[in-house]
Amino acid sequence: MPHMPKFAGVRRLGARVQEARGAPRWILYVGIGIVVFFVVLAIFAPLIAPYGFDQVSSDGTRFPKQAAPSGSHLFGTTVQSTDVLSRVIWGARTSIEVVLLAVVFSIAIGVPLGLVSGYVGGKLDRGLVLVMDALFAFPYLLLAIVVAFLLSDKLQNFFLSDLFGAGIVTAAVAITVVYIPQYFRVVRNHVISVREEPYVEAARALGAKRRTIIGRYIFYNVIQNVPALATLNAADAILTLAALGFLGYGIQPTEAAEWGYDISRAIDDVGAGIWWTGVFPGMAIVLLVTGFTLVGEGLNDVLNPLIRYRRIRKPKIPAEQEAS
Amino acid sequence: MSLVRRLGTAAALAAALAVAAVGCGGGGEEGGTIIRGTTDQPVSYDPAGAYDLPSYDVIYNVYQNLLTIPPGDNKPVPEAAESCDFTNPTTYECTMKDGLKFSDGDDLTAEDVKFSFDRNVEIADPNGASSLLANMKSVDAPDDKTVVFHLKKPDATWPFVLTVASFAIVDSTDFPKDKLQPSDEVIGSGRYTVASYKPGQQTVLEKNTSYTGSDPAENDRAIVQYYDKPSALKLDVENGEVDIAYRSLSPTDIESLRDADGVSVVEGNGTEIRYLVFNLKLQEGTSDAQKLAIRQAVAQTVDRAAIAKNVYDGTVDPLYSMVPQGLQFATKAFADKYGESPDVNAAKKTLADAGVKTPVPLEIWWTPSHYGPASGDEYAEIKTQLDDSGLFTVTLKSTEWTQYSEAAFTNKYPQYQLGWFPDYPDANDYTAPFYAKDSFLNISYDNPEMNRLLEQEAATSNESKRAALFKKIQDIGAEDVPTVPIWQGKQVAAVRDGVNGVEDTFDPSFIFRYWLITKD
Amino acid sequence: MSRHGSLRTYVLTRLALAIPTVLILLTMVFLLMRVAPGNPIQAALGGHVSQEEIERRSAAAGYDKPIIDQYVEYLGDVFTGNLGTTLTDHRTVVSIVVENGSATLELTIAAILVALVVGLSIGILAGRFRDTPIDLAGRLFGIVVYAAPVFFVGFLLQLLFGSTLHWLPTSGRVGPVTEFELDTTTHLYLIDSLISGNWSAFWDTVTHLILPAVTLGLLVSGVLIRLVRVNLMQTMRGDYVEAARARGIRERRVVMEHAFRNALIPVVTVAGLQFAILLGGAILTEQTFNWPGIGSELVRYLNERDYIAVQGIITVFALAVVVVSLLIDLVNAFIDPRVRY
Repeated sequence: MPHMPKFAGVRRLGARVQEARGAPRWILYVGIGIVVFFVVLAIFAPLIAPYGFDQVSSDGTRFPKQAAPSGSHLFGTTVQSTDVLSRVIWGARTSIEVVLLAVVFSIAIGVPLGLVSGYVGGKLDRGLVLVMDALFAFPYLLLAIVVAFLLSDKLQNFFLSDLFGAGIVTAAVAITVVYIPQYFRVVRNHVISVREEPYVEAARALGAKRRTIIGRYIFYNVIQNVPALATLNAADAILTLAALGFLGYGIQPTEAAEWGYDISRAIDDVGAGIWWTGVFPGMAIVLLVTGFTLVGEGLNDVLNPLIRYRRIRKPKIPAEQEAS
Repeated sequence: MSLVRRLGTAAALAAALAVAAVGCGGGGEEGGTIIRGTTDQPVSYDPAGAYDLPSYDVIYNVYQNLLTIPPGDNKPVPEAAESCDFTNPTTYECTMKDGLKFSDGDDLTAEDVKFSFDRNVEIADPNGASSLLANMKSVDAPDDKTVVFHLKKPDATWPFVLTVASFAIVDSTDFPKDKLQPSDEVIGSGRYTVASYKPGQQTVLEKNTSYTGSDPAENDRAIVQYYDKPSALKLDVENGEVDIAYRSLSPTDIESLRDADGVSVVEGNGTEIRYLVFNLKLQEGTSDAQKLAIRQAVAQTVDRAAIAKNVYDGTVDPLYSMVPQGLQFATKAFADKYGESPDVNAAKKTLADAGVKTPVPLEIWWTPSHYGPASGDEYAEIKTQLDDSGLFTVTLKSTEWTQYSEAAFTNKYPQYQLGWFPDYPDANDYTAPFYAKDSFLNISYDNPEMNRLLEQEAATSNESKRAALFKKIQDIGAEDVPTVPIWQGKQVAAVRDGVNGVEDTFDPSFIFRYWLITKD
Repeated sequence: MSRHGSLRTYVLTRLALAIPTVLILLTMVFLLMRVAPGNPIQAALGGHVSQEEIERRSAAAGYDKPIIDQYVEYLGDVFTGNLGTTLTDHRTVVSIVVENGSATLELTIAAILVALVVGLSIGILAGRFRDTPIDLAGRLFGIVVYAAPVFFVGFLLQLLFGSTLHWLPTSGRVGPVTEFELDTTTHLYLIDSLISGNWSAFWDTVTHLILPAVTLGLLVSGVLIRLVRVNLMQTMRGDYVEAARARGIRERRVVMEHAFRNALIPVVTVAGLQFAILLGGAILTEQTFNWPGIGSELVRYLNERDYIAVQGIITVFALAVVVVSLLIDLVNAFIDPRVRY
């Protein structure tokens, strides 16, 4: 059997990125830069944020209520006298945590399901496709709302809740449920087209076990689709989390800072002309989602053979020999 | 024409339309039409199906009751009845006025009154107030002008119960006796009729020209417009789209409106209260004495004035008894016992005397939207106050309303936020529900002397006797502290200049009398 | 097989597949609502009457009938068109769908128009001038506009136009007086006001519609831009486009007349998928702008645990999505023979 180098799929990806020229590469890098910036904010929040996410006083003095941005509160304060800048930074931690959980869960469930369903086919496949299509047809926000609703009570004792907080796990699960069908679909469709390839047939003819075929040949081929989808998944996860927070079904305000919730409180301030409580969390959402989307777009541009540019190597012409 | 050019023309046309439209915006102001904006949505305009303030709002204006609370007052006077009295401790008799008519011309007689009460009990709608009639054995209409109520136990509050909107008089010839009448087809004898009802959007009340009672409406029409978000309501009262914004604007909005042009903020005494509840079974403390000490220490540490100022910008008043000011027999029992301002040293002593180790861990629950979005701010403030005293460490927790309301009363929360809205403005409604042994709070509070006093005050209508009884009741409440009263809300409305009469309707009854409001 | 034969087979197959999809959706809706904690009486009267009284009323209202009975009843009701009456304010779900659904419909149609105008124009420009600053700007615009949550955009517009400039109203569908005076036959206020010749009502409706429609439309335009751009680029590399260029036709005409139409085909498919996004976005937009649509009613009933209302509304949503995607698939199959089974 031909020897496949380790991580062949990933290597192929890296090669494509190297080869790409022009805009796609920059888009990718800018996107990665933004995402890394927020991840740093998330990890080092306790060190970077000037105050806690629900801190209302420092050294015995209360923070002013709804104060405009100033030297002591760069982004101003909210109606609860909390510091907006701190809440934006802590909110980054909440978002990254939810994104991490949601993407990991979705991939861990959606990809294997798609692989198995696509390869095995038959009744299992048809049944799964039906369920997934139904889930897909369900308006995603409604699904997330209802799932968040149901689970908010049940997840208080879940093991991950101690690590992350029940609200975060709830939001992550709600988003996962919405996204599993996407991974399933993409992976399954790709598997179906790949499984008829000659090299797969050859492997089968040579007696390779199902597990080997799926694991070695099909998996690496199919896995290339996942990163781009994962970035979209991450981007949508943040938007869905914010939407849940805005509607009040997401993370409870006592648990963690969340940008969507902050905007919902800020709408009450709009009437009084107080803009800083909503503008800064909103910009954070836009920036982070844009970051993930740019990474996704960049990857897509780099990988989509129909529209990517390849570096054109100039032909090497041996030096002309002087005619004697 | 190419596609691009076509698109461009369409865009230009749209822009032109937009610019033109901007010039013609704005709300309408017709002679004699009052527009009130609110964020509360009603349930039903059939009295038997209503137990909520927004429904009551309209019912009080569309129907008559046997008795009602006049503007600015806090005691019942006859409305549809000529006179009412107890003939013996368990029998209450009313004589009807002459010539009363419903808006469709039908006569209003004692038969309609009996019908209204019987159907309330029979329908027992899940959203209705039939549980308030638990003490009624039966109601008779021996002739066209007499109504007799037979009660199971003596009940001094019965006249108050008769003022509740759920017991308004309905037309027996139009309303079914075993189910609710649709909200847009109701017939009453009040000052207005329901001209139209679009759920979630607006209710339109038109002056009832066949109204036979006193004080007919001073305007022709009242429109109640419903809003989802208080900030939208605030913007609309600022730009004149509505004349009155009442219930519920956030404190931020109200502050901002005080300075706005063309709008003024009107305040009146309100009887809505907020309080902190202790579940005596679940709370901290190894003995009853320790638990009591903790409760008293919390009462001594909470700074109500700071909450009223910092969180609510003065739209609420500190509350020193479960019975709010403005009601007959209200005292300031908590201020009498603990003082009006917090006293951390006294709290320290109370805890030390009972041998309680400080800081005491307290888990306090609250709910984000049912009691207003400022609830979070309020409890953050309370946490800060208690933590800063050094005597407590507070953990705050919250859940959304429906889960919260079930968990709170089924022994899941050791300390929790609660609010109360009166059924009727009598001190009994603010004491019996909380302090009685079978209180809906279900907090295992049982003081035999308190139970005895509550029974006595309900049984007598002698005012001076009741005054003495209620003083004792409130004092015991301050001593035992099963609940800590925090604030009583003012009734606050933003009113456009030229609109008069709103202050006149602000009183403990919570009846919003559209008929008193005029527009210049 | 003849062209018509395979089309017919496709239609029948799709219809047949739609039925189990619908059943699964309905079951999901039912289960989700039953499993949610709390019931409407708890929500309405908790904190005001005792827990025992609440439980007594709940039992009397039949909230604890066996699940299977409720499920069968539910399915039967849906198929006879009886979506029930709400528990909290006694409206029929059908009336909610008609009155509030038409508000959402008006909003989404206006939003689609905005999305088409913005999305198509920017997408075409970006695709036509690929890899130039125009392209980059267009793509960035599309990405940022999608990244901005609908309620944030709404918040910004309210801040600017409502609170600072006072140019446009920021809530509701029309003013209170217009609401009362307008004759509603179709429940689409733009049309109703034109029918009854009520010009002030028409202007009132337009001014109220602008901000929410722009907010929601921008969101969808973001996706459209990306799509149109990529499809245009792919199409423009196609052979027949090369051929057109070779014949000397001006680039502009090449783009507008040859490439554009073919680029539209996948757009139609995705338009169907956008429907789901539109519904989700509509919920948020309606909350932000106080638009009395079916999305904000859903949120309200959800908070009140009125499961009949929620169930009914979600059923309608889900069925709408299925119907729309079915239609889109059929349209697609008609246009593009490659799609059929």
